[in-house]
Amino acid sequence: MNETQHLSSQFDEELNRLRTHVLQMGGLVETQISLAIEAYSTAEISSIKSIIDADRKVNDLEKAIDDDCAHIIAKRQPTASDLRLVLGISKIVTDLERAGDEAKKIAKGVRRIYESGQMPMQYGVGVRHLAEAALALIRQSLDAFVRLDVELARNVIQADSEVDTEFKSIIRQLITHMMEDPRTITTSIEIISIARAIERIGDHAKNLSEQVVFVAEGRDIRHSKESAA
Amino acid sequence: MAAQKVRALLLTVLSASIALPIGYFVAPSTGWAVFSVSLGLQLAFQFRQFAHLDRWSRSPAVDVNLEGEGEWDGVFGRLYRHEKDLRAEIARRDEEISHLLAAGQALTDGVVLLDRLSQIQFCNSMAESQLGLVVRTDRGQHIANLVRQPEFVAYLDLADFSRPLTLRSERRDGRVYSIHVIPYGNDRRLMQIKDITHTDRLDRMRRDFVANVSHELRTPLTVLAGFVETMQEIELDAEEQVRYLAMMGEQSKRMLSIVQDLLTLSSIESAPPPANDVVDMANMIDKLRRDAEALSAGRHVIELESDGLGDLRGSESDLASAFGNLVSNAIRYTPAGGTIRLIWRASVQGAEFAVQDTGIGIDSIHLPRLTERFYRVDRGRSRDAGGTGLGLAIVKHALNRHQAILDVRSTVGAGSRFAARFPANRVLGL
Repeated sequence: MNETQHLSSQFDEELNRLRTHVLQMGGLVETQISLAIEAYSTAEISSIKSIIDADRKVNDLEKAIDDDCAHIIAKRQPTASDLRLVLGISKIVTDLERAGDEAKKIAKGVRRIYESGQMPMQYGVGVRHLAEAALALIRQSLDAFVRLDVELARNVIQADSEVDTEFKSIIRQLITHMMEDPRTITTSIEIISIARAIERIGDHAKNLSEQVVFVAEGRDIRHSKESAA
Repeated sequence: MAAQKVRALLLTVLSASIALPIGYFVAPSTGWAVFSVSLGLQLAFQFRQFAHLDRWSRSPAVDVNLEGEGEWDGVFGRLYRHEKDLRAEIARRDEEISHLLAAGQALTDGVVLLDRLSQIQFCNSMAESQLGLVVRTDRGQHIANLVRQPEFVAYLDLADFSRPLTLRSERRDGRVYSIHVIPYGNDRRLMQIKDITHTDRLDRMRRDFVANVSHELRTPLTVLAGFVETMQEIELDAEEQVRYLAMMGEQSKRMLSIVQDLLTLSSIESAPPPANDVVDMANMIDKLRRDAEALSAGRHVIELESDGLGDLRGSESDLASAFGNLVSNAIRYTPAGGTIRLIWRASVQGAEFAVQDTGIGIDSIHLPRLTERFYRVDRGRSRDAGGTGLGLAIVKHALNRHQAILDVRSTVGAGSRFAARFPANRVLGL
């Protein structure tokens, strides 16, 4: 009796540590995204190096967490909600890592724009708004994961479609710009790739939230009506 | 205890002494029957009391006095009193704890209590709003699960709490917190969160100010010095001399206007409270419109929206310089063909002077810093437009002295609206 209790509490501690590592990784990715937005809107490109450096840490954490997941499954053979948590986490870290990659892409795009002496502000105010919306989605989906808050996760899944709509309207706007003034094409293409990366971040937030619903309720809502909303 | 034993013994002896003669004189079986009936009665009595106690102990209530019979009365009474005392004690402590928690809630700093594993035990509502926590659901969560910023996680991991951590909030835009972790008790930690947004900004403004003044004055001076040198060393023809002198004049005028603005600012800042003269607003607005038309030179449409009612109480020169700055900004940052609307609305609730333009607009990230000295949204552009970088600082100070606030709303590409709102006690003549 005492033995099993001891073991299970040690197991709980392992799971808690795993969760904390995931959220630590989440924190890094959140910061990467928010620094990238700041670099975009303030032309402060000194932080870009730290965004790229953070990506290495994110990658290391992804590997370490994946290892831990495999280890826990092999050693503890978790069942029911514990198993869902571990499976969910191994998917969540993939999405987080990719969101971090997108942040890196944004940072590099911003650097290219400013190094070529252009100012994106005049075309892409909407981009900052889009980026803030996507960052909010990542933040909310991580919060939903911490609290296993299914309602919040569902909100994120729905809000992602708003990000998609906004992305499309930015593209339309930029296309108009390019047609009006072909000199803006180079910068516009950079901005489009930045906006695309932001839109992808929104998608990763959505995937993350779907995993939260899976962890909390055991239902896989990927590619279902619920997730199409 | 002894009394109860004696009593139980006496009762048994009594039943025996009744049963014995009956058994002897009537029939032994009747005697036994009487004896066992009397013992049974005793047992039934005891069992009734036991059942009573059993029932009570399952959900001890203190609203009805717990009474037993016979020797049970003492036991029941003591148990009842014990329970009642305990409850009173618990209620007293609950009250004490709730007082303590209320005190924690009343603090203007955020407070989070963490246990050995850095899990949240308590946090006040200030901390909830600062860090985006929800105490109802987040108790027991590791703090770093919710405050995920890497700087914070590193600070917590390093466990060197000798100096506080300055953290820029991600959840509440632009707020800056100073987080101090104080270990206490056995391995517990108290996290104190102070909002230092204001002091942080003042610090930065002071640093920026010195750098900016020097920079703003150095630029025209360098140009001036360059021309002086050129004229000393190279023989110029008359036409070129005139051109150079004109440029030198321009630069020295620029420096003069910067110094002028700095002086205005410092006189507004250090002057005694503004005079309480009555400022004729109809007149003021008329003058502003004429100035605007002169400055615009027909490039903009100037509209007026005022019913000509209401006057302000204050310093005419301060207000004229504040309003004048708003108007000239609007003209400067509105492309030709745009519309500038001067609005004056006075009512018993207060008054508002607003300048609305259809200009280039200001991105919302600049709005909080707009009234800082030499803060520039777009460095090249505002200097080209001839600003000193002090206009809005002057406006803000002049308005502050009249207990008025400056409200700025702006959309990039669509235009801005700068409004000075005056409290009711500054408005008269309605």
